[in-house]
Amino acid sequence: MSFFDGLRFRRVSSPIHNLDPRIKFIYACVIFAVAIIFWQLLPLVALFVLQIPLVLVAGVKRQWIRSMKGAAFLASIIFFTNFFVSFMSAGYRVTFTALESALAMTLRFLVLLGSFSIFFLTTSPDHLGLALEQSRVPYEFCFAFTTAVRFVPVLAEEAQTIMDAQKARGLELEKGNFLKRVRNYIPILIPLIVSAIRRSLELAEAMESRAWGATKKRTNLYVLKLRRGDYLFAAITAGILAAAIFIRLHFYIPRLEELLTGTI
Amino acid sequence: MPWKALMAIIETKNLTYTYPGAAWPAIKEVSIKIEKGEFTLITGPSGCGKTTLCRCFNGLIPHFYQGELKGEITVAGLKVQEHPVYEMATHVGMVFQNPENQLFALSVEKDVAFGLENLGVPREEIRKRVDWALKLTDIYELRERTPTELSGGQQQRVAIASVLAMQPEVIVLDEPTSFLDPLGAKKIFEVIYELNKKLGITIVLVEHRLDLTAKYADHIIIMDGGRVVLEGEPHEVLSSEEARLIGVGIPKATRLYKMLKADGVKLGGKVPLSSEEMAEKIREALKSRD
Repeated sequence: MSFFDGLRFRRVSSPIHNLDPRIKFIYACVIFAVAIIFWQLLPLVALFVLQIPLVLVAGVKRQWIRSMKGAAFLASIIFFTNFFVSFMSAGYRVTFTALESALAMTLRFLVLLGSFSIFFLTTSPDHLGLALEQSRVPYEFCFAFTTAVRFVPVLAEEAQTIMDAQKARGLELEKGNFLKRVRNYIPILIPLIVSAIRRSLELAEAMESRAWGATKKRTNLYVLKLRRGDYLFAAITAGILAAAIFIRLHFYIPRLEELLTGTI
Repeated sequence: MPWKALMAIIETKNLTYTYPGAAWPAIKEVSIKIEKGEFTLITGPSGCGKTTLCRCFNGLIPHFYQGELKGEITVAGLKVQEHPVYEMATHVGMVFQNPENQLFALSVEKDVAFGLENLGVPREEIRKRVDWALKLTDIYELRERTPTELSGGQQQRVAIASVLAMQPEVIVLDEPTSFLDPLGAKKIFEVIYELNKKLGITIVLVEHRLDLTAKYADHIIIMDGGRVVLEGEPHEVLSSEEARLIGVGIPKATRLYKMLKADGVKLGGKVPLSSEEMAEKIREALKSRD
């Protein structure tokens, strides 16, 4: 099922994949913060371009582009709403300011999405679970998270089996109007939910049998440790933040109009 | 084997259990004794109470399932009713039927470590025991894989490794091969047998495939309708007329032996339980004729 493919987890290795997920998360947040403090187009474009080498190093170009394409629709909505509002408030005239602010808004969104998709594309769920655990999130939540990820492909396969079985019994999924089609899925959903509940009971049994809840002080096979690469990446992140604040306070950033007409 | 007869590791007396909301008991007055280091086989038709009995061994019954448990049960010197499942879990490892539903983590290694992490074992010790368990079950190369990438047989070996890592005295396996192909099943039985022989771990195996397993067993228990109907040494039990009537999957070698015997063909020694044993007997018979 192609829909679940995005959620299926693959183990890949690259300098970016091997970074500590906590640092990557901070990076994504910093990029987002920087995108917020600028409202001009130029620095936002620079910020967006800054993500590209990371994507290339991580080797997730295809997936990243796909997620950007997926965002295109939402991005265009953001652009048009912003543009339309400034267009109206400027007395129905197309101005450079209107264009720039709409473009900047859209880019902000893309920068946010781009940096966070780098985070999610390069962080394996077990790393993420581990990061959660070591950030003192209660273990039950972390466990629920990793188990959910673990069972996505299993349930997807099961859904497929049920669909095939029901189709073999004459169920037509692609028939009728929208409402009818939604209703067609009921004979798929009910067995799927029932079997998921049954599965969860078996899981609970297996967990109990492996000393679940024996002690409050749980230990862990893996620990996340910051390594040289992590410090380097953290330093780069801090550098980006510092530079952004400095530029924002002390430099004049040319506007789109000035860039295009050459009147700096 | 005299050293085995030192101590009963599992002992039940008149054990009767009714699931919550059930009209009648799932097991009735079960009194069995399993010695330390024994390889015990439990078999019987579906719905005869085998699984229910297994759940009693590590305290899932009565702690997890509630319901009404009467009679006595002692496992590894502990009265099951008085100790929580997580405590019993360090003495009794449970392997279930469906391999998929007993693995929770995203890597084999992490799954094997799960029980030890729950117990709060220090990290270096976890690492040591995980590697040890992975090597014993022959899945060390798979340690970084995701469970979904493994075959059923490999998944089931991960499940065995994950209880093995907790170093229990008893491992209970409830139809561990019913989701597996014959070859995967055979490998599982070999792994179990090795744990029994090499480490002296007491094995309780619930299984229908007696053809493949009877030869390993020291002790066999046949259940029907919630009761233990036959119990004892495998050669004797499986060659009895009662076993056949209950509908237990008597090994083909044993059936062949009995058919030949009925026709007056005499093969020496004990009743064979596996094709290997049968082959040996036929070889001997042919030799003595020459």
